[in-house]
Amino acid sequence: MVDFVQNTLDGFFIGSSYALLAIGFTLIFGVMRRLNLSYGPSIMLGVFAGTMIYIQLEAGLVFVACATVLGAVLAGIYVERICFWAVGRGAVLASMVSSFAIWMQLEELVTIFFPERTYAFPPLGDFSLEFGPFFIRGAHLVMFLCAAVLTVLLHLLLYKTRFGLALRAVSENPLAAKFMGINTGLVVFSAFALASAIGGVAGFLIASADQQITPLFGLWATFKGLIAMTLGGMGSIPGAIAGGLLLGIIEAQSTWYLGAEYRDLVAYFVLFAFLVFRPGGLFGQRLATQNRLSMQRV
Amino acid sequence: MLELQALSKHFGGVHAVDDLSLTVNRGEIFGLIGPNGSGKSTTVNLICGVLPVTAGTISFEGHDITSAQPHRAVAAGLARTFQNIRLFSHLTVWQNLWVAQGRTDGHESSRFVKRWLAGDSTARRSVSDLIAFAGLSDRGDEYAGNLAFGEQRRLELARALATGPKLLLLDEPAAGMNLEEVRELDERLRQLVERGITILLVEHVMELVMGVTDRIAVLNFGRKIAEGTPAEIQNDEAVQEAYLGSSNKA
Repeated sequence: MVDFVQNTLDGFFIGSSYALLAIGFTLIFGVMRRLNLSYGPSIMLGVFAGTMIYIQLEAGLVFVACATVLGAVLAGIYVERICFWAVGRGAVLASMVSSFAIWMQLEELVTIFFPERTYAFPPLGDFSLEFGPFFIRGAHLVMFLCAAVLTVLLHLLLYKTRFGLALRAVSENPLAAKFMGINTGLVVFSAFALASAIGGVAGFLIASADQQITPLFGLWATFKGLIAMTLGGMGSIPGAIAGGLLLGIIEAQSTWYLGAEYRDLVAYFVLFAFLVFRPGGLFGQRLATQNRLSMQRV
Repeated sequence: MLELQALSKHFGGVHAVDDLSLTVNRGEIFGLIGPNGSGKSTTVNLICGVLPVTAGTISFEGHDITSAQPHRAVAAGLARTFQNIRLFSHLTVWQNLWVAQGRTDGHESSRFVKRWLAGDSTARRSVSDLIAFAGLSDRGDEYAGNLAFGEQRRLELARALATGPKLLLLDEPAAGMNLEEVRELDERLRQLVERGITILLVEHVMELVMGVTDRIAVLNFGRKIAEGTPAEIQNDEAVQEAYLGSSNKA
């Protein structure tokens, strides 16, 4: 029982970073109704920007964090301009395929400039807390706190400001939004930059908890974000949070009871179970119409 | 105020709008009518910048807006409603108006942040006024998707007004309305003209068009076949032919 609770705690804290990745995916999917496979790789580019100034300039944690977020945002904007702006509005498949191509491009770019397999990343919160039999890593606590603050800020932005209102209007009906004088291109661009910034923070938190980084981080982040988003229900931000936390807990439990080699296997199994029995995800019912919409457009 | 010159739109071999020229003057209600498929909706979509024009120009208050993006047209003072309602059904009545409010105010940098974050009290008051104008005062916090059909139509009109337009394009606003509702709409349109808004009305419902408009243009197969006051149009032979079919063709 103690093990189970400890695993749940660990999974919950790690899951908060998955939730951030899923929120980023959801924002992009919500306003564009298109999948951005390059989301993880653009975060990876940001993380490498962070590790570069850490290794080359021995910069402090704050600078590394800024460089990571900035790198992720710039890479995200690059992806948006190529895959979602230059590739026409109606071309759903073309944008997905081109986002895959940009993924490969970003990964190649990083492996050319960073030929080693792994690089060091500065650690965050090198302490730990104990509550009776339970144990919390400081890095995980910081991860959770940052994720929680960021989620609250995002909620305020989306539900308490006119920018958030415009973003939700574009997400529901882009054509009508245009005729309400909303510059939909600018809203989509901002949503992309915002999602990339959130991803950059997630990337920084994860990399500094692991204290190392590899070019495979892009693949990893795309998978975690995509699975968490699907578990929660595509297009729903509360769903993305719940999906991220659920994925973290599933992974922690299966690592403990079945072994680390079965961790991803179990996660994929749960993903397929959800897709078959509850395709709308945890927060699916309310979004039934939206899902139908996305099906139509794909 | 709005001037179309030799406007054409071809879809492949189909001439949806063909060499159309017309002028809407400030302060009038201008009706655009014609049988189904005569190019009325296409004309609206060309004016608003949804569709690229094949040939011709559109100018609004002396500025060329032929290939302007929709949000630019709105900023210039042009607003529209849709034939099939396109409200933001997951937003409330109030939010539907709030997201559209004051789009023609410009983007002075001093007010920019405030505008985007919270808006000011004048803006809030103007939204409340519009809710009252649309007769939705007790429905402000209802989701637009939950409104009755007539209420949705009224909200669409109010939302277009929220952008602060000088010219309002109404694409079949009376479609599906009963006579009582048409009379209310007639009354609302007259109130808008008194407030200094010019209206281009695309409509099938003749009770509304013949009663409320100052001038009418009639389209058939994308071409303008007549233009004049409602009385002149009602007695126009070409118009009667277009609507009823000419005897020798039948």
